[in-house]
Amino acid sequence: MKARKLLPLLLVSILTSCSTDYSDRIFAFDTYININIASKTQEVVGNVKDIIKRFDILSDNYLERTENNVYTINHTSEPVEIDEALGDLLMVSQHVSNEGAKYFSMFTGSLSKKWKESLAKGEVLSNEVIQEELEKINNTSLTISLDKKRVQKTGEAEIDLGGIVKGYMLDYVKTYLETVNNLEYYLINAGASSILLGEKKSNDGYYIVGLNDIPNSYIKLKNCFFSASGNLEQGVTIGDVTYSHIVNPFTGSALTQYDTVRVVTETGYLGDTLSTSLMLSSLEEIKKVEKDLNIQVIVSKDNQIVYKSDSLEVYTR
Amino acid sequence: MIDKKKLRNDLILIGSLLLVTITALITINVISKNKNTSNLIATVSVQNTVVEVVDLSKREDKHYYVEGLHGQVHIHTKDGVIAILESNCPHQDCVHMGYVSDTFHPIICAYNAVYITIGVSPNDVDA
Repeated sequence: MKARKLLPLLLVSILTSCSTDYSDRIFAFDTYININIASKTQEVVGNVKDIIKRFDILSDNYLERTENNVYTINHTSEPVEIDEALGDLLMVSQHVSNEGAKYFSMFTGSLSKKWKESLAKGEVLSNEVIQEELEKINNTSLTISLDKKRVQKTGEAEIDLGGIVKGYMLDYVKTYLETVNNLEYYLINAGASSILLGEKKSNDGYYIVGLNDIPNSYIKLKNCFFSASGNLEQGVTIGDVTYSHIVNPFTGSALTQYDTVRVVTETGYLGDTLSTSLMLSSLEEIKKVEKDLNIQVIVSKDNQIVYKSDSLEVYTR
Repeated sequence: MIDKKKLRNDLILIGSLLLVTITALITINVISKNKNTSNLIATVSVQNTVVEVVDLSKREDKHYYVEGLHGQVHIHTKDGVIAILESNCPHQDCVHMGYVSDTFHPIICAYNAVYITIGVSPNDVDA
């Protein structure tokens, strides 16, 4: 009887459809990235870590690594052969300011470094240096081949992809988890500033995301990207002024309007760039971006919410 | 020629195994959704106004008396569960619900407009 022969197959297929919760952690992009995935095999977690490591290497603008990366591009005016993934990331970086991230520029690398060095000495960067760096930014461009495997930078400004790479990398991870592996229960937390959320197995699928500068407050999210930029951890106070690690590519200033901006988006690269760009935006600009791009926003200053999207509920204890 | 007796027995076997497996999968799914009971809080509301918030993870043995629309409602928590012990409502459905501790089973006393809902403690932040 054929049914007898099919029985073991049926039982095996039912039993192997069960998944296990896997957790792991990896250090990349100068932060710890926590990985939580419900999957049939642990191989998925390993592959996610490989994706993260890959983009960590490709986007590094401080060190030469095992293959051509941003550091390589920054230190030559010659054409550079690169991985197509980096080429795509650079291409997206070129255009994202037209998508709503008005204050994002990938050429703020050396300006950011100069601000960092100056603030580390307890000094404000001089206007002279700021103007020199702005001149470099305005006179730097990047040419990317159609196949995205060859780039050439002209000009002296340095590329810095810190404001986009984690979100972009999480887009890759999401595609891998959902499209390739058909998984839905996962949470990838890249240092709390870029988080990829699938669904949680409990709580109607919602993850609880705390708002660390708003006492006892949290939001509930699922199936989205959560991005945050702020001065609480990386800001440097000189006198009574707090200077940010976020620099304005038009004025060279390191002063931001708010303490923290959080955005909820459908794509990672957009959320990452928007959370940074909106730190430099007026509330009117923020509301316009919110409406045009259909995103959710929370803006906070002095431990209070100064603006949030109506559709995003903030819970308090 | 088909042996009808063997065929019938095979079908019974397959059906039984399928039923057991499906039941097990459903049970595992429900349990896994509720397994994290250590972070639950119960919110007691009267006419949409929160009057008590009970941290079920503390597993305290405690009695609460809330004023409903038509009289006092006696609520009890113990060992991480919560129940309405006494109410002057006519049908006593809320009392018959017994002790609950999962997010799928709110306790409702419609007569007194008393609602007990269970949710996740904000202390249990995922990110």
